[in-house]
Amino acid sequence: MKKIVSLLLALMMIAALCACGQAAAPAAATAPAADTPAPAEEPAPVEEPAPADALVVDTCILKEADDAMINNYSLLAVNPDAPFADADGNAVADVELNTVGAAALINWLLSEEGQELAANYGFEQYGEYLFYLKDGRPVSSAEIPAATEETKKIRLSTTTSVNDSGLLGYLLPVFEEKYGYEVEVYSAGTGKSIANAKMGNADLILVHSKKQEEAFIEDGFSYVIDGMDAERLNWMYNYFVLCGPSADPAGVKDAADVKAAFKAIADGKFTFISRGDGSGTHTKEISLWPEELGITAEAESFKDYTDWYVSANTGMGACLVMAEEMKAYILTDKATFLTFVANDGVMG
Amino acid sequence: MGSSVRKAIELILSADPELLNILSTTARVCLTSSILALIIGVPVGILFGAERFPGRKILLVLNRTLIGMPPVVCGLLFYMLFSGVGPFRHLKLLFTVKLMIIAQVVLITPIIIGVMETFVADTAPALRETARGLGFGRIKEYRLLVNECLYSIFSAYLLSFARAIAEVGAVAMVGGAIAWKTNVMTTAIMMYTNRGSFTLGIALGLILLTLSLIVNIVLSLMQGRLSR
Repeated sequence: MKKIVSLLLALMMIAALCACGQAAAPAAATAPAADTPAPAEEPAPVEEPAPADALVVDTCILKEADDAMINNYSLLAVNPDAPFADADGNAVADVELNTVGAAALINWLLSEEGQELAANYGFEQYGEYLFYLKDGRPVSSAEIPAATEETKKIRLSTTTSVNDSGLLGYLLPVFEEKYGYEVEVYSAGTGKSIANAKMGNADLILVHSKKQEEAFIEDGFSYVIDGMDAERLNWMYNYFVLCGPSADPAGVKDAADVKAAFKAIADGKFTFISRGDGSGTHTKEISLWPEELGITAEAESFKDYTDWYVSANTGMGACLVMAEEMKAYILTDKATFLTFVANDGVMG
Repeated sequence: MGSSVRKAIELILSADPELLNILSTTARVCLTSSILALIIGVPVGILFGAERFPGRKILLVLNRTLIGMPPVVCGLLFYMLFSGVGPFRHLKLLFTVKLMIIAQVVLITPIIIGVMETFVADTAPALRETARGLGFGRIKEYRLLVNECLYSIFSAYLLSFARAIAEVGAVAMVGGAIAWKTNVMTTAIMMYTNRGSFTLGIALGLILLTLSLIVNIVLSLMQGRLSR
């Protein structure tokens, strides 16, 4: 008897779960907006309950292929003799890194095979290439050693855009199958990825923020691997794009260049979603605002702009969903944006 | 939301290999950690409840503080300790399932100690009187006490299992949410949310809740039988 009662209870709970779910959906969709200061404009009214796959993405690319918008991706091997230090600043000498594995992965990514795969990625799925190879890029023809027990595990610390766009999921299995390595991908914003490497938890990094990369090299955390002539191996790029509502109230489409476009957004106080997480995209965005605004990564610097400047502190995809909801402007890498649109704004 | 439910069902029916991997990692992490915490926490909790010794009050206050420790702080602590530059770097445990389990044991054990202590402190005096009256020795007295506690041990376990399966801060920090290796349900949900895939996040959440429900039903039935 007791059993039947509990089974009935369980069924009821499942039903209740589904019912609650129905009600919770709009709440979930607007949740990210809750922790940001109230935007100047009314948030978009709750959409009619159309199924997710019928949603049409209104956010579109307004400004692209500007020279200021190039998004360079670089590989950096972590230096085993880097001045690693523990949390108290004491030097740590014996940090173990898999330098052989890191070099193998770099050499493969820069080999003809790796480069061709990266260059062709996305065309089949999205009808557009997501990443382009740079002119004068480093090329490797070094022989890649097969994995051994010690060199098998490669720890790659990387930025979310190469992971979320599916590029790594497309490239790495080919490499792993051919040479027997296992690549563990730690994916976070560029700032966190670099911090992770500085703590000795990565063998190589793949990031996209020149300033932070140069600081990383300057501090001695990277080194030149055999056959290369620089620490920073910048081999592919794509574009950052400025996106916003198709109505384009700030008129950024007609702006002379991207800096003028950012100025127009700031002047008109149109809602802008900032990643706010120290990622490469965030670093780029900060460099595009008119200097007199003084926007930096510090919260203090934009406290007067909270009526339109939304520091979301989350991933690119979540920010895009937010921009779509709030009819806001946003700076994004093109690969993530195309993936977002291809999935009708629900990101998979 | 309808689409999330549909997606959840689709995911389960398609037996998506990545989902299965995430599920098995989740099961491994939270079952192991909650059982380990139970093994450590129950004796300590009973001791705290039944015995009176100097420093007991301070230890209890410390334990209650640990119950309130934010998981992410626990994760951060273990990240720093086992990091490539941390003092325990040679163990090479960062971003492994083992370290996720250790971090969760540290998180959960205080809960079990707290629950057991509360119950035992309540029952022990009366029980002890009975035991003394019957002329039982110390060992027999404790056996009686444990027997009396079975029901609340179950409650403590349910609580700690719930904490383990729902917890995200610690496992995300020390596990790194590496696909096919340390990605569990909660970190996967967080990852999809960051990516903007809210539907998939809710779908995974529904699966997690359903699994949690099943485990709880089974354990509650066992508990009900025990109390008879």
